[in-house]
Amino acid sequence: MDMASILYLGVTFGLFIIFVLIVRNTYRRRNKEEKEAPKYRMMNDD
Amino acid sequence: MGKPQYHTDIVKSFVNWSLVWGVVAVLVGVIVSFQMVNPDLNYPPYFTFGRLRPIHTNAGIYGWGVGTIFAMFLYMAQRLCKTPLWSLGLAKFQLWLFNITIAASAVTLLLGYSSTLEYHEMEWPIDIMIVVLWVTFSINIIMTIIKRKEEQMYISLWYMMAAIIGIAILFTVNALAVPVSAFKSYSIFAGTNSANVQWWFGHNAVAMALTAPPLAMFYYFLPKTTGVPIYSHRLSIISFWSLIFMYLWTGAHHLLWTPVPDWIQTLAMAFSIMLIAPSWGSVINGYLSMKGQWHQMRDNYLVKFLILGITFYGLQTLQGPMQAIRSFSAFIHYTDWVPGHIHMGTMGWVSLVSVAGIYFLLPRIYGREVYSIPLANLHFWLVVIGQLIWSTSMWIAGVLQAGMWNAMNADGSLTYTFTETMVEMYPYWWIRAIGGIIYLIGILVFIYNVYMTVQKGKEPAPKLLEVEGRA
Amino acid sequence: MWEKKPILLMLMATAAILVGTIVTMVLPFVWVNTEADRIEGVTPYTPLEQEGRDIYMREGCNNCHTQTVRPLVAEVVRYGDYSKSGEFVYDRPFLWGSKRTGPDLARLGGKYPDAWHFQHMENPSSIYPKTNMPAYGWLSNNALKPDKIRRKVEVLGFPFTEEQIAELATKNEMDAIIAYMQKLGNDIPWRQTARTEIVGELRNPFAGADQTTLAAWKPLYQSNCSACHGANMEGGIGPELVGEYYDEETLFRLIYDGIPELGMPAYANLGTERVWQLVNLIKYDQAMGN
Repeated sequence: MDMASILYLGVTFGLFIIFVLIVRNTYRRRNKEEKEAPKYRMMNDD
Repeated sequence: MGKPQYHTDIVKSFVNWSLVWGVVAVLVGVIVSFQMVNPDLNYPPYFTFGRLRPIHTNAGIYGWGVGTIFAMFLYMAQRLCKTPLWSLGLAKFQLWLFNITIAASAVTLLLGYSSTLEYHEMEWPIDIMIVVLWVTFSINIIMTIIKRKEEQMYISLWYMMAAIIGIAILFTVNALAVPVSAFKSYSIFAGTNSANVQWWFGHNAVAMALTAPPLAMFYYFLPKTTGVPIYSHRLSIISFWSLIFMYLWTGAHHLLWTPVPDWIQTLAMAFSIMLIAPSWGSVINGYLSMKGQWHQMRDNYLVKFLILGITFYGLQTLQGPMQAIRSFSAFIHYTDWVPGHIHMGTMGWVSLVSVAGIYFLLPRIYGREVYSIPLANLHFWLVVIGQLIWSTSMWIAGVLQAGMWNAMNADGSLTYTFTETMVEMYPYWWIRAIGGIIYLIGILVFIYNVYMTVQKGKEPAPKLLEVEGRA
Repeated sequence: MWEKKPILLMLMATAAILVGTIVTMVLPFVWVNTEADRIEGVTPYTPLEQEGRDIYMREGCNNCHTQTVRPLVAEVVRYGDYSKSGEFVYDRPFLWGSKRTGPDLARLGGKYPDAWHFQHMENPSSIYPKTNMPAYGWLSNNALKPDKIRRKVEVLGFPFTEEQIAELATKNEMDAIIAYMQKLGNDIPWRQTARTEIVGELRNPFAGADQTTLAAWKPLYQSNCSACHGANMEGGIGPELVGEYYDEETLFRLIYDGIPELGMPAYANLGTERVWQLVNLIKYDQAMGN
């Protein structure tokens, strides 16, 4: 493997990790209430 | 605690003017579609296909599309932030600058002042006006968000902010040019670089002007219309970040098989396929929000506009990635298939969601019930049928012409000359023009309905008055 | 957290947008249009050609014509050698287009004589009866403005001579756009390298065809030849066709390979069979001129 391939795989893996972290943080059970709150609050904004 | 006094007059003005530019865009579209079947309808120097087509696209994207976006953002931002607009004066300035800019664009394009960069044809003085316009708008929205009374920001606000930043970066970079006279400049990018920068802009103008803002509207108007919150706020978080991250990689799918380096094309192809996921994240979020509410497709005309709109978005974001694959692009690129694709997005997705927003706004900004729901239904069917005729005829035409372009005899010679393939397009171009006329009639029905609402609409139910703080 | 902080959200969005932007838009500047890209023979536009290019842009020709040949079999056979990055280094901006309502023009230069272009621009349907190309004869009425054009080539940094500028005063916009079209794709010697070598003996497969058979091939003549050589071979832009002047083999070669220096296009992409049909038609048809 040359440097370019290692870099390529590294960047891809890095992006994947970021994605997993976003999903994990978003879907954590203890975050549920907070993360879903705005969708109810926007219903009575008039 | 009293209700905040939201500014609605400025929203009215933007709605009205975007309708004016929308009619111009569709009318010019119908005219150029007839020029394609009959070259005698070109009246040089000003009224030729080559000069009118950019007016059609720019009036559509900037006049109708962005005009509606201005109206909707100014409306939604106030409510989602539970605070009046940061500066009404700035918004009024923005309204006038908007109309002057669009009018100046149309006039200079007729005069032949064109950079030829698609969706960016306006020459440098107009570019400067557009940048000032966008900054004016951005400051107002951002300041309103900063001054908000609601701590946590709803989905629509994220899409608004992404669009604000995205358009600013894309438009400015692609505009970079050295002026030689009042209305002529040369791009600082040359050849292959120029192509790559242009389609980085071109495709992401679709992302930041024709995807993110209509999504902001969809996420707002669907729950408001059905009375049921969006299915998942968390799913929209994943969709949002993936969408704005991935879109920027895909511009070169417009340049497959050109001299642009292969690796850029391959990246664009791969990211285009991956974009299906975040796009469908929003589609699925919309569909699941309808759980137990599907009867509203019959009972509530607005739901029909919104759900058909998001369905066309879903189809668009499947067809697009398909076209971004090298082998498929080799076949259909440069044919009429591509306009068929684009018009499903603009006439189907963007316009359906935008008009749904306008119908939703009418009682709330004019204090009157929509004049006629049967007319709104007629409008719906005319624009959907018109658009389907338009797109389907072009898909068939594209496949037919691509087949003829590629047809070869056993000895390796071409079966058809170019002209022989072009002549086969006439029947489909006629059908397309008819589809365009049906669509135009639909728009005129809509405008009549809006006009009559303003003139003769009934006073709304007391509940609405109370909601608006007008009682 | 970011859902409560708009400035943070905007910074994060900017970062998300910039990753793809940097990789696919900024980074390529390192490789594209560099020395490695350069092709010997590709020259900047002359003042007349550049003005022609600006007229091409003004009239929005790019809305119907592309200027890039893809490396695909049918495309290379139809238009010529596929486009190379180095051919476009003087194009500000690129004019590759996105739709072929009309044909690609990347290899148009030198394909037809100037006279063909004048006639085609003046009256496109005289060459392609069912075309939807608008007529552009009115360009001939517009004189060029030498001072403005000088300023343009100065800004672009293209070399020019005072004679070239002075000459502009005698030209009109039609001259300019045709000069531009005649340069397109002509900077590399693709015609010479693409020329097909005919091996073996040429033998007329239709020798002795009767007049009825010949008459059936007339549409082939009409769609490919009559615009320049006249409906009855009486000549026009190209010379009158007199079958007796050539033997079968010479005539075949002339049609198959063309005569680039005289603006006679090569018709190799019709295939040998149809070229032989034309040879027989031109040489032996009695209704048409012979």
